[in-house]
Parts: sequence; C-alpha cells; structure tokens
Amino acid sequence: MSLSLPSPRLTTERLILRVPEARDIDAYVAFLTDPVRAEGFGAEPDRPKAWRWFAMNLGHWALHGYGYFTMEWKETGDACGMTGIWNPEGWPEPELGWVVFEGYEGRGIAREGAERARRWAYEDLGLATLTSNIVPDNARSIALAERLGARYERTYRNVHMGEDMLYRHPGPEECGA
Amino acid sequence: MTMPLVAIPVVETPDLLLRGYRESDFDAIADFGCSERARFVGGPHDRWACWRAFLAGMGHWVLRGYGMWVVEHRETGRVAGRVGMILNDGWHEPELGWHIFDGFEGQGYAYQAAYAARAYAARHQGLDGVISYIDAGNTRSLRLAERLGASFEREATLLGAPCRIYRHPTVGGA
Repeated sequence: MSLSLPSPRLTTERLILRVPEARDIDAYVAFLTDPVRAEGFGAEPDRPKAWRWFAMNLGHWALHGYGYFTMEWKETGDACGMTGIWNPEGWPEPELGWVVFEGYEGRGIAREGAERARRWAYEDLGLATLTSNIVPDNARSIALAERLGARYERTYRNVHMGEDMLYRHPGPEECGA
Repeated sequence: MTMPLVAIPVVETPDLLLRGYRESDFDAIADFGCSERARFVGGPHDRWACWRAFLAGMGHWVLRGYGMWVVEHRETGRVAGRVGMILNDGWHEPELGWHIFDGFEGQGYAYQAAYAARAYAARHQGLDGVISYIDAGNTRSLRLAERLGASFEREATLLGAPCRIYRHPTVGGA
C-alpha cells in the first residue's frame, strides 16, 4: 500500500495553502501548546502531544484526502495559520476550520484562507455542504463564521471539545462554486 | 493532484502480513487501545484518543519514512496487532514496538511480527541495533524482548513514565 497524499496548492492574494510539511512543525507546536490561543481549537499539553497532532493531521490527509492546510504568508514563506476540512471520528460532519498563529492576527488571514479552502472543498472535493464547530465563548470565530455567511444551526456535544455550536455555511452555489 | 508520499511496504511471514492502514482497521485498533491491554502503552484510551493514534500512525510514516505496520492474520484476514519502528517526538531513538490484540497471543505471532519488522528495518530503513521501551510490569513483552535476543540496557523515562530500555542485537542491513 502506498500512502498517497493529495497535494493541492491553493493561492490567494497573500497566502499559499499547502499540505503541511515537516518544516512547519515548530509553528504548529507553538500554537497548539499555547493554552490561551488554542483554547477554542483544542490545546495540547506539551511538544510530544503537539507533534502527534501534527502527524495525525497528515494521517487525516492520507485517509480522507483532505485535512488542515498550512497557510503560508507569501511574503515571508512563514506558516501563519491553518485552515481546511476536518472530519475525525465522532464528528457530526466535515467542518471548515481555521486558526491564525501568533503575530498574524488582524490582517484578515483567516477569512482569506477559509474562503479559499471552502471553495476548494466544494469545487474539488465535491462536498455538498459544510459546517463549522465553534465553542460557545469563541467570539472571534463566531464573528468570522458569520462574515463567511454561515448561520447558527444547533448546539451539540462534541467528543473532543464538549459543548459546541454548529454553524452551517452557504452551499456550493451560493459560494459561486 | 495526488502524489504517493511514502510506500508502506508489505512484509510477509508464515502466518502474518505486515501492511499499511485501512479505515476498516480502526475498530480493531480502537478495541485494543480502549482496553486494559493498552495499559503498558500509555492507555487505556478513549475512542477519540484511539482515532488520533490511528491517524498519527499513518502520519508517522509520512514524517519518518517508517512506522508501525498493521499486522494482519493471513488465515482469517483479521487485524492481529501493530508492529514496527516508532520515533515520536520525545523518544530517545527509533524503537521497535509491538501491540498484539486480544485473541492472538500465545501463538508466536508477536515474535514472528517483531522479528520480521526488525529485519526489515535493518535491511531497508537503516535502523539496526534498535531499542524497545518496555514497562517493567509487562512480563509478556519482557519475555518476548529476551526471546528476540534483546538485553536490558537501562532504566529510562518516556513521556514522564518510567520504563526500561532493551537493546536489540544488530541483525544486519544489506
């Protein structure tokens, strides 16, 4: 068996979205082990666990053909966040997620990347609908979900995050896909 | 748009196939990971943690070029365990690890799988004279390590938990 990884490389005005590479690990670890920044995403207690998360995301890509992209800031080549489609065991359905790493907030990166990933999910993966799962006190993500046109649907219990709100995105046609 | 990232080779033994991962393997892997049998490998875990470990097992091959195989029992096609080389962050060096699932113990399968994985790693993955981390209370694994010719090297700590390091003999690369 060959572990095949799709290798989409998407671009936006300021970003490259690509499958994570080993050189991204330190940026991921810094984010995942920051309990404040990663609270709404699922923080990891230490580097070994964050490394496993990184490996897990690659496994997610291998198994599903999608996962979290590294968002690369074109100008510097640095990893500035993640966005992509996430659907692990126990998830209600595939979701569009996003996070921005320290030092890159306030530039509209999450919106720019998530919009592109959403279009890719509709156009290239052929998904018919997308959700985002957001913990209730993550006001920043709620605001972005709404700016992306997503609407609150219901609150449910997520296997990993506990109480979670499910937002539904506009479908492929509404997004021009 | 798709590139083969890493080939997980198939290794055959008289009774077993060491092979790559399929989504349908997850139930067997979760049954083990959620059970008391996983107490010597950091468990038991909940199903969510098992899923993470399952995916991370695949991602490990991507990052390292080697990893744990799924062990398939050839006669029945059932998943009998996992075996292979592990170098997670926090490990001192690459480790030969083995997990044998319920119903497949006591038949020499663990020896067969570990022996074949060790030989493959030495020949094709540049990993020879490797270690195994073993919990001091895991008598079955301690016995298997000795049967494989490994010897106690030192006490160590892995991810904050005490364990023993056993050193395997070099078995010869090509």
